Amino acid sequence: MKKVLLHVGTPKTGTSYLQDVLFRNRESLREQGILYPIDRFDGHFLAALDLMRLTWGGLETQAVGAWDRLAEEVREWPGTSIISHEIFSTASPTQIDRALTSFGEGVEVHLIVSVRDLVRQVPAEWQENVKHRSLVSFSHFLEMIRDPARDTRIGSWFWGAQEIPDILDRWGSTLPPEQVHLVTVPRPGAAPDELWRRFSHTFGLDGLELDLTPERANPSMGVPETALLRLINKRVTPVVDPPDYRPLVRELLAHQTLSRRTKSARLGLPPATHEWVQELSRTWVEEIQKRGYDVVGDVADLIGQPAEAFSDPDTATAADLLPPALDAIKALLVEGSRLRESEATLARDLDETRRELEIARRTPAEKTVQAMETSRSGRVALGAYRRLRRR
Amino acid sequence: MSSEPSVPGTARAWGWVAHLRAGGTTPWDAWTGDGVPTARVLPGAQQLELLRRLNLAGRAPDGLADRVLTAAAPGRGKPDLALVGAGRSPYGPQPVDPSLLPPDELIRVATSVLAEDLVALGVSTPPRRLHRIWHRRHRLAGDPIEVAGVRDHLASRGRPPGGPGAPVLVLGGPLDQMLADVWTRRCFERGSFGWLEWLRFWQQRDELPPRIDLAAVADRHRAQSPDVHVVLDRSQLPDLLAVRRLPPPVRQGSDAAELARRIATVVGLLVPPDERAALMTHTLLPRMPATTTPPVALPAEHRAWVQAAAERMARQLSRAGYAVVGDPRAVVPTQSVAPLETAGSPGAASGQQVLDLAVAMLVDDTWKGQG
Repeated sequence: MKKVLLHVGTPKTGTSYLQDVLFRNRESLREQGILYPIDRFDGHFLAALDLMRLTWGGLETQAVGAWDRLAEEVREWPGTSIISHEIFSTASPTQIDRALTSFGEGVEVHLIVSVRDLVRQVPAEWQENVKHRSLVSFSHFLEMIRDPARDTRIGSWFWGAQEIPDILDRWGSTLPPEQVHLVTVPRPGAAPDELWRRFSHTFGLDGLELDLTPERANPSMGVPETALLRLINKRVTPVVDPPDYRPLVRELLAHQTLSRRTKSARLGLPPATHEWVQELSRTWVEEIQKRGYDVVGDVADLIGQPAEAFSDPDTATAADLLPPALDAIKALLVEGSRLRESEATLARDLDETRRELEIARRTPAEKTVQAMETSRSGRVALGAYRRLRRR
Repeated sequence: MSSEPSVPGTARAWGWVAHLRAGGTTPWDAWTGDGVPTARVLPGAQQLELLRRLNLAGRAPDGLADRVLTAAAPGRGKPDLALVGAGRSPYGPQPVDPSLLPPDELIRVATSVLAEDLVALGVSTPPRRLHRIWHRRHRLAGDPIEVAGVRDHLASRGRPPGGPGAPVLVLGGPLDQMLADVWTRRCFERGSFGWLEWLRFWQQRDELPPRIDLAAVADRHRAQSPDVHVVLDRSQLPDLLAVRRLPPPVRQGSDAAELARRIATVVGLLVPPDERAALMTHTLLPRMPATTTPPVALPAEHRAWVQAAAERMARQLSRAGYAVVGDPRAVVPTQSVAPLETAGSPGAASGQQVLDLAVAMLVDDTWKGQG
């Protein structure tokens, strides 16, 4: 039976790790009958941009036709295919209809939604916004997501990607409940490989030979680090374009530098919001239990942990911001030095290439003169020739 | 979004879908008839309301209703919305009365359909003319709308730009006008930010778009040709080009530019970047229906920095030995572009104006045969 395992989110549920394992092991998976149709790590992200006609800081220009190519590979594969990207969670019913239709007839589609409690998802989504150039404060972000009208871009996107019953309605309404799989992210303190075990079981990867070395992740930052990044955004977004922002700010500063400061306060929710999201989550848990989906993990984990001391990123002091700021300056200086060295190497290579080009372009006469000037007899002969030609 | 007719209100929604497909114009809140599902999912409120507006505007071309009802609303706007009273899950965005949707939501759907039309038309190839090699050569740079007008006029007379040793004419004018021209032209090339956001981008960088930083443009060309003139007096241009007269430049209204900008975004999702620029410039621009809306104008909040930048440019052109045809102070704005007074967004077209143009282009597709 042809199967498509369609993993549509949600964001911040270990998706980067899962996709990294699938990408690195795609050849091995193929040999074992499972297709992960992709030729670059973000291939399914591009397919999602194409399917949903989304722009993404210019990346969308690389996505032209990506969904149709992906669907064609799936149609041609006789066994199981895996598609995974978290932004599929925001697709509209019409786009979902197109996606499911494009796999062709006689395919058993299994929907997989990995989910995490809103207590962790709300601050994580704000942080993700900050890592994508946002200037919005945490308190304003919370206001926007609590607005029932969802009139703002942030509110609309947040619930599109995080309202689990709605995602299941949109993606799963045409599927039998046993083909809808909900993978819950374990609560804090669980065994480090527990989430992978749940993914592996759901995707049918148990027992397969896979390289699980983590190479790509989307690590989180603490309170002062996120507050600092938001302040940096205020200064740099008008003058640093997205193609430079991604490697320098998101990757170098956020992922490789600030997220390594693991001892600082973690982002959480203010008490009133904490209470509100837990109340909302309880209604979701009841709804999910009624629907009879295949839940991998404990659906009650969606209610989240009790409130802890809240550290407000909007009121981080200069003393809080100084240590991560110094780390950021150091990282940028080291990167600046590396780039200077790289520039010097390139300049040397360029000089050398120019010299070689010059030599290659010399006329036979110039080459003869140069060769003659290297020996005494040659120089004598040249002198005689020049006297003869009065040069 | 449930499509089950047994869900209360859903049969009414399918009835409305059938009514709109048949050319009906009754608003959702006045609709009472029932119908049966004709697709797996109910179209969104945005798609349905756009179809109603098209029906109000005239008889839509065959097949358009289906295309509108299945069109994806591109970008990160609202998801497809449910109709209020059409019975659906308590989850998801709040259902809406479609007649109250802001124009922006309907424009998103309309641009999706128009972008597909444009891609289907393909890139138009300009007609080839006999090259009249005995005429005076020229190269053009500067204000892109002035340049395009002159270049196309000369090319149609067998005088394409270029050739060895061709003198370079850098065309300029008041800086506010040049900014409006660059933005408008960008809308018909690769797309752009919105007018106000684009102005803020340059203000924050304290720079000018490369095409209209006239001194820098002249410097770049002086590296290749000693004969570079910055032309600020348009009346002298025919003499410089050895023609009797030149047609006035054609400036698109702010509604046309904004609609093109939004179409360009969607076209960028359908074809590679180079093809997008060619489609926008060679296929859409010559076919864009004329409107009475003036071009974009500089809003009051941007006048101070533009004035300062223009004064700086005038000083540069006067002092650094550039060959300037006309008065260098001609780059300083003189309120030559009358500000538009539109609600909420001074200097740019309103959402309703842009929607009206989009609806007109969808209902009357004779524009596809123009150009």
